[in-house]
Amino acid sequence: MENPKNQMLIQLSRVTKTFTVASGQFKALNDVSLAIPKGKLIAITGKSGSGKSTLLNIISGIDKPTEGSVSINGIQVEKLSESELASWRGKNVGVVFQFFQLLPTLTILENVMLPMDFCNSYPKKERKERALALLERVNIKEQADKFPATLSGGQQQRAAIARALANDPPVIIADEPTGNLDSHTATAIFELFSSLAQSGKTVIIVTHEKDFASYFEDMIAISDGRIVNELVNA
Amino acid sequence: MKTRYWKVIRDLTSDYSKNLMLVLAIALGVFGIGSILGGYAVVNREMTSNYMSTSPASLTIEVEDGISTGLLDSVRKFPGIKVAERRATVGGRMKVDDRWYPILLFVMDDFNQLTLNTFHHLSGATDPVEGAMLIERTSPSVMDAYEGDKIIIRTPNGEPQSISIVGTVHDPGLPPAWQEQAGYAYISMATLKQLGETQDFDLLRIQVSENENSREHLTKQAELLSDWLTKNGHTVHEIQIPPIGMHPHQSQMNAVLSIFTVFSFMILILGSILVATSMATLMVKQVRQIGVMKTIGGTSFQVAKLYLFMILVLCVVALAISIPLSRLVAAAFYSQIATLLNLEITDNSIPLWVPLIQISSGIVIPFIAAAVPVIRGSRISVRKALDNYGVENKNQTGSWFSLLISKFDFLSDTYRLSLRNAFRQRARLILTLGLLAAGGAMFMTALNVSEAWDKNLKRIYVQRLYDQDVKLNDRINSDSLVNRISIMDGVKVAEGWDYSATSEVKESDYEITRTYPDKGHGSFVMQALPLPTQILNPTITEGHWLNTPGSNEVVLNQMARNERTKLGDMIALTIEGKPSLWKITGFTEDVGSSATAYVSLETFSKINSTQGKVKMLRVAYHDRSRDFASVKSKELDRLLEQQQISVSSSTPVWLLHSAVAAHMKVLVNSLLAMAILMALVGTLGLMSTVSMNVLERTREIGVMRAIGATPLKIRNLIVWEGLTVGVISIVIAFAVSLLLSWYMGEFIGHISFRTPLTLTISVLAIAIWIVIILVGSYVATIFPARRANVVTTREALAYE
Repeated sequence: MENPKNQMLIQLSRVTKTFTVASGQFKALNDVSLAIPKGKLIAITGKSGSGKSTLLNIISGIDKPTEGSVSINGIQVEKLSESELASWRGKNVGVVFQFFQLLPTLTILENVMLPMDFCNSYPKKERKERALALLERVNIKEQADKFPATLSGGQQQRAAIARALANDPPVIIADEPTGNLDSHTATAIFELFSSLAQSGKTVIIVTHEKDFASYFEDMIAISDGRIVNELVNA
Repeated sequence: MKTRYWKVIRDLTSDYSKNLMLVLAIALGVFGIGSILGGYAVVNREMTSNYMSTSPASLTIEVEDGISTGLLDSVRKFPGIKVAERRATVGGRMKVDDRWYPILLFVMDDFNQLTLNTFHHLSGATDPVEGAMLIERTSPSVMDAYEGDKIIIRTPNGEPQSISIVGTVHDPGLPPAWQEQAGYAYISMATLKQLGETQDFDLLRIQVSENENSREHLTKQAELLSDWLTKNGHTVHEIQIPPIGMHPHQSQMNAVLSIFTVFSFMILILGSILVATSMATLMVKQVRQIGVMKTIGGTSFQVAKLYLFMILVLCVVALAISIPLSRLVAAAFYSQIATLLNLEITDNSIPLWVPLIQISSGIVIPFIAAAVPVIRGSRISVRKALDNYGVENKNQTGSWFSLLISKFDFLSDTYRLSLRNAFRQRARLILTLGLLAAGGAMFMTALNVSEAWDKNLKRIYVQRLYDQDVKLNDRINSDSLVNRISIMDGVKVAEGWDYSATSEVKESDYEITRTYPDKGHGSFVMQALPLPTQILNPTITEGHWLNTPGSNEVVLNQMARNERTKLGDMIALTIEGKPSLWKITGFTEDVGSSATAYVSLETFSKINSTQGKVKMLRVAYHDRSRDFASVKSKELDRLLEQQQISVSSSTPVWLLHSAVAAHMKVLVNSLLAMAILMALVGTLGLMSTVSMNVLERTREIGVMRAIGATPLKIRNLIVWEGLTVGVISIVIAFAVSLLLSWYMGEFIGHISFRTPLTLTISVLAIAIWIVIILVGSYVATIFPARRANVVTTREALAYE
């Protein structure tokens, strides 16, 4: 029988992240260890300033730990250079932001094609087709040739999710993806994330939305830079 | 095309007003360089080819007793001589509108067999018969007569006679007639005789057969030939070896064009600073997008390439606009210079190296300037990029400057905040101030120099207290004539002077000058004046003015002085070809004079055995206006005519003023054009910076409005910020302009007068620049201020 630890997609081992601020050193994460398997929809919760965004940044390689190690899909992320990290992230982690962060001067279709362009991950001829397929999957294919500013918040977030899926990454992370959406749209977005997890993606979402707790298979509660619960179903 | 490059194209087109400004900034510099270098390349090539097309003589030997055909044949056979021709040049006068103007008569041996100092036939006859002449194409502007007309000419020893103009030629070796305020005509010896002159050909124009570019060899060859002439009983009066292969105005043009080239590169550098500041702010504006691109897989290198591509596009657009435009302006530029130098542009092609320099400088300089902000921006960490909300807050609180401003209670809260905002982005502030100050400094410098030039020209009147200079062909007894002139109505003072062409006697037995065939450029003259004089107010730079009549004191002007001469030195100068020894007691700074040595008339006359006689009259009028001088000079001419005194030239001082002013007209006009370009780039820079400052504080402005700031308050805040930067730049620009004006004054003064221009501060320039900056600052800030107020508070708060 295979060691369950080997099936873990994401593993954080004794991760500490310290920031230097005006008043001195501030530990945003303090000795955090974590293991998340493949195909789960996980929530990270906690108060403002508790360290949840930092945890998300560490997992996505946006930030590097001050101490400890981060392994994603077998790669020691903290050992990658900035340039290697960018390529690795483009292929392995799809990021969804609270304010969507679509590039305003590119159409929705082009926004989705951009990660494939940067990572050179699909043959050029297939990129458009794939991007359209992803937009269809998130139900905004008809908006493909529009610019982000002309779309509603919900539509923009769907486009952002399609973009996150562009390179077919095993991990999707989202930082309060529904924080800027109405509850009806938020529900639709959570359903989308749920379907992604069911299709084998590991989806990690930072959220305050307790109403959507039912969507999550597991929750990581974080406070003062420490995980204060154990993953129930990990 | 790759998806990412669509972003660049759309970024460029979506913010086209801003990008147009960047394109304009680069284009202005490239345009300036292309216009100047293009004009320069054509003028330089054409100046040399025009001048060389006349097959200029390497040297001229002035033989006092005439050159017979037999002597010419012998000279042609002399070793080392390739070509020899005989000529004569006679200074006469022509009557235009009842006034006498100088005319140079070039007497040709055979119009059909000219090989040296030739000219190009344009129209009419090629070989003027007796009583007829050809004129240089620029002469009609002074003569007010054209081909087919007749004009009254009077030579030194003859009576006024009517001569027909039968043909027109172009002589590129001569400056335009209007510039020298003299006519040029080409006549045969028969016509000269008809005009009453008895003189023979006296100029031997020579081209040597080898080493024609060595001044040393030319001097040696001239001396050998002169020795031979002397041995054979001829008297060599002067040897003229003008600078080899150089047009009379070549060195001035080179200096002037080099100034313009420097100015053009300065414009390009200023434009590039503008590009750099704009790219820096663009990168700030794009920082979140950079974060997003890096999050979705873009590497720093890929991101940097995108923005460098953006600059490349801007540069290419700028080049596409500026290169064709600069070619048009270059054409106008070289045409104007060609007119000023009497050149005929035979080949107007601008050499390939000009657009190549434009392309390389128009891409390389902006690239270098923008590389730092682009590389820094693209290397920003993803977290820092995503956390960015515009202006960074580090070092804001508690900085000494902020604390200092907080103590200025007398300032309104709004203005104090504007002051702090102006100093928030220090690096950008320094670049903006640098841009504006450089633009302002050059603007003020251009006008300062222009005003200094005018002021210096006015010194012509300050130094010359006389209004009319009359040169005579023969020496006359001075006393009775000078007395008669002195009692003329409107005459203040009249003095009788003397003069002689001179040169410093060195190792050579002969007088060797650098005089060109027009006898003006490169000449050196000795002026003998009665002491004390009432009509000269010399500017003494060293030593003292002549004060002892009968002494051997000499005062040299700056054109006659060389590095070796110093006070107390003895100097051997020729008078009518004969050497005389003088002691240098002073140096003067003359405006508008050729090389001149001033000596006592008493001593001069004694050495020359012409006591009591003079060859020059200088007359001062009560009224110095041009109109009055014109009337009086006619009366004076009539009086001299009645007295049957042969006049060689009669030049009013205003004519000299006009001639000198015309020489540097192109420089002054072009400096002003440069000044306008500078003002344009500087204002663009301010607009760019302030609008970027406002743009990146959109969110902050939203916060201010959310807590109650009225649109008027926001507008005032932004406008005051722009005005503060503008006012600081004016102070710096003024300080820098003083240094630049001093340097440019030294440079331009030296090439034109061999003396620096007086440092002049143009109040008009300061006033115009203040208005430009204040209006520019207001306009530059009012639009972003309006924009800040148009954006709703909700939008502003959500702005990323």
